Amino acid sequence: MPKPSPDLTNLICDIALYNSENAYEKLFKYLFPALYRFCYCLLKSREQAEEIANDVMITLWKNRIKLPEIQNIKVYSFVIARNLCLNAINKTSKKELVFLEDIDVQLVLDTLDPEQLLINDELKKKLEQATHALPSRCKLVFKLIKEDGLSYKETATILNISTKTVDAHLVTAVKKLTAVLKVEFNLM
Amino acid sequence: MERSRVIELLARKMAGEATQRELEELNELIARYPDSVYYEEILKQLWPNAEDITADYPDVDRIYECHKLRYHNELTDSAMEIPSRNGYSYKTISFIALTACFLFFMGLFYLHSINKNALNTQLIAGKGMRKNIRLPDGTMVWLNADSKLSYNSDIAGKDVRIVHLVGEAFFDVAHHESQPFIVNTEKISVRVLGTAFNIKAYPVDKKSVATLLRGSIELSVNEQPQQKIILNPSEKFELVEGENGVLKTNVTLMIDHITPVRIGGNEYIEEVSWKNNTLVFHNESFEDLKPRLERWFNVKIDFHSAQSKSYRFTGVFKNENIKEALTAMQLIKPFTFNLKAHDVIIY
Repeated sequence: MPKPSPDLTNLICDIALYNSENAYEKLFKYLFPALYRFCYCLLKSREQAEEIANDVMITLWKNRIKLPEIQNIKVYSFVIARNLCLNAINKTSKKELVFLEDIDVQLVLDTLDPEQLLINDELKKKLEQATHALPSRCKLVFKLIKEDGLSYKETATILNISTKTVDAHLVTAVKKLTAVLKVEFNLM
Repeated sequence: MERSRVIELLARKMAGEATQRELEELNELIARYPDSVYYEEILKQLWPNAEDITADYPDVDRIYECHKLRYHNELTDSAMEIPSRNGYSYKTISFIALTACFLFFMGLFYLHSINKNALNTQLIAGKGMRKNIRLPDGTMVWLNADSKLSYNSDIAGKDVRIVHLVGEAFFDVAHHESQPFIVNTEKISVRVLGTAFNIKAYPVDKKSVATLLRGSIELSVNEQPQQKIILNPSEKFELVEGENGVLKTNVTLMIDHITPVRIGGNEYIEEVSWKNNTLVFHNESFEDLKPRLERWFNVKIDFHSAQSKSYRFTGVFKNENIKEALTAMQLIKPFTFNLKAHDVIIY
């Protein structure tokens, strides 16, 4: 059963005006998993991803007074996460400066539903392989839209590209996947 | 070609970004190519519900507990204000929070306006020099020796024209009805519209003096900003700091009329004559005169005899150098001096 997403505006008001830890807990539980997955596909390390997702959340808390000014808390937190991840990567990399497009993004297609008979483990592997060759921004677009249900506009803000580019990336990714399916199921 | 169009439209549909028109087109294409149903079905399976995934994450409760422990300090310094933990009523808390917010934004606004009015230009007149400048808003400024004037280069476009002065300056303020002109010094502040006045506020001097020639000025002492003093033309204001106390200084405020002095057949206004390159002093002790002479001639004066400190002088210097000036003063009172580069010793 899908859990109804909490009323973010109310939560933020409670946090900003009343310092409500309760509201913060709800916000945490709502945002953390998505932030964690986003960081994970950039950093490919569970500990680091968890660390940064934690940092993003406490940054929100520390700046709670300013939160009501922010239009889209989800996008805002993703942008913080993106920046923190890039900082973390740049700290450890020997290369001069790493940008989002330089990162080898790890896409995981996790479909845990056992009723999904059409996709077995083997096919899943093939699909993952197919996406592996895609450019990293393309993978990120696919991930943010597919997993986090973000809109084109939100994705565009987070990745700092135009909505047109978001659309193009998504179509590219989906085409890659369907090319595998075409072979697998002998489709047109 | 058609297949790739189907995929494109499917991608948009899955992202929830397809327009009504595109959805219709997709339905048409699917009807024509029944195979496409497979694609849609598989994509749907790949596309988990965003909420499902959120709920899926198993450890979020544990992670939040860790998070709470780790950032205990950040989280609890405000937790004290949560109503359930102490006796404050909900109303008090919200009032405090609102006030805090309000103060915060006022602070931001204040900082912002400070930034906007940042004094980014400095004019400095060294010792022994006097400068005459025209500010961008048309105000004429005569800067006396060893003085510093700071202002914003965009002063003409500001709602309030603010300048900061260390030392002495004469202002002939260009009249702009809606833009008051404010001079801040260490101890006093002056607010005017369009007037001519002189301010003397050297940090080393115990006296800060504001002298008004025409118009009117509103003056306040920085320590008592609520108390305003209005000066009328030909009046001067003096703030004299007493000797005692680092903590509580003994301050005397005085308002006096300017009395022109007659020296050698000419009338001078002592306070402002410097701007015409004339140093005027009237019945002034050598000790009081010392800082003025030092600044005027860019020298350093040392008294080696206590008696000469109390000699009183009246006089006018125009183009004399320090040697000529001291020689002239020797005619009035008996003292000897020794001049070496920029050092003068009075015996």
